[in-house]
Amino acid sequence: MPELRKDPVLGRWIIIATERGKRPSDFVISEPETTGGFCPLCPGNENTTPNEVLVYGRESGYPNTPGWKVRVVPNKYPALVIEGDLNREGEGLYDKMNGIGAHEVIIESPRHDDVFSELPPEHMMLVFKAFKNRINDLEHDDRFRYVLVFKNYGKAAGASLEHSHSQLVALPILPRKIESELAGALTYYNYKERCVYCDIISQELKQDVRVVCKNKFFITITPFAPRTPFEMWILPIQHSSAYHEQSDEQLLALSEIFSESLCRLDACIPRVPYNFVLHTQPLRSQHMNHFHWHFEIVPKLTSIAGFEWGSGFYINPMPPEEAASYLRESLERIL
Amino acid sequence: MKKILLVDDEEGIQMLYREELEDDGYEVISAYTGEEGLQKFKDESPDLVILDIQMPGMNGIETLRQMKMHNPDLPVILSTAYGEYKQDLGAWASDEYVVKSSDISELKKAIRKHLL
Repeated sequence: MPELRKDPVLGRWIIIATERGKRPSDFVISEPETTGGFCPLCPGNENTTPNEVLVYGRESGYPNTPGWKVRVVPNKYPALVIEGDLNREGEGLYDKMNGIGAHEVIIESPRHDDVFSELPPEHMMLVFKAFKNRINDLEHDDRFRYVLVFKNYGKAAGASLEHSHSQLVALPILPRKIESELAGALTYYNYKERCVYCDIISQELKQDVRVVCKNKFFITITPFAPRTPFEMWILPIQHSSAYHEQSDEQLLALSEIFSESLCRLDACIPRVPYNFVLHTQPLRSQHMNHFHWHFEIVPKLTSIAGFEWGSGFYINPMPPEEAASYLRESLERIL
Repeated sequence: MKKILLVDDEEGIQMLYREELEDDGYEVISAYTGEEGLQKFKDESPDLVILDIQMPGMNGIETLRQMKMHNPDLPVILSTAYGEYKQDLGAWASDEYVVKSSDISELKKAIRKHLL
């Protein structure tokens, strides 16, 4: 029988369609379409991007020249613009403001064909360090309330260029999804005086059916009520609400668990398209006892249709306990 | 006389742009698909390209990346009715992104900027 499950933070219901039970091999991923040709993100083509705002790996030489390992540049054709005032205003009952924001692209490697999950942890750490550095910097701009960090991997997940990259958008408003997550976590905290995510980690460690892997600082789980097959959350084991307060040692451990989690996913379903999104506290917040920063990795394996749009329910054909089991065994099968 | 290659599958756009650009003293050569545009890019040595995105066959961004592979220094202006292709990082290979309008003054300004 199908099962309805409720996300303990958002209160969002999902349907686990157990009778549609699938194995990883049932998910067919078409080969990525590579258009090829000139790549504006490759070394030597720095003049086709806006000037870099952050670079790692170039020890000498001029800005915007080759020799870098990770490079952050503003979006050349941004959806929101950095210059100007918000000018918040009302038009009757409708609210609006100028489209102000910072849209940046993190170029994760100089090598065109590198895959994020296969970057050495020391290199991947530079990407996570870039996220931290940019959040710290954008926090000084009081027009912005939140920095959304995300990655689209694969065409089906929205990646428009095959050269490995992630993006961030500093927004003058708190995204509705983050607002709901903060509110859900606060309601739980007010009732129990504990962080809901700390309780999730504690229960997952006890039950040990949805844990994918862990290290000294982090744990990867398949959440109890996942939207898609093989959805994974990576959380710090110790309570922390601010991603940008992580030390280099923690960021290296984050790289190691990220790499392991994505390699396990890739071993189950090679080259599966996915999105990951960083959930962290709003800019200029004080430490939050009720919120716990984390990454959510959502593979693109199911489509969103009328039922999902209308109800907000997701139908997931794979229970997370089975997904976790496949993910745990995946690398062992290959080795 | 500077030569502009105009790649667009819409006859109306071809006529409008050709008339306006010829009046401004440019020579205009036309292509109606990405494939034809790429061939004329190689054969005709234009000074600048105006490139539509949504076309049958090879789209404008694929065509752009092939053109820039061949000659990265030749200016290419993406000219499209759709703003959402700005989210495609392949569009970064272009030198300008202009949203189509019946008033082509923005396009003309971009052309002048690159053909000085």
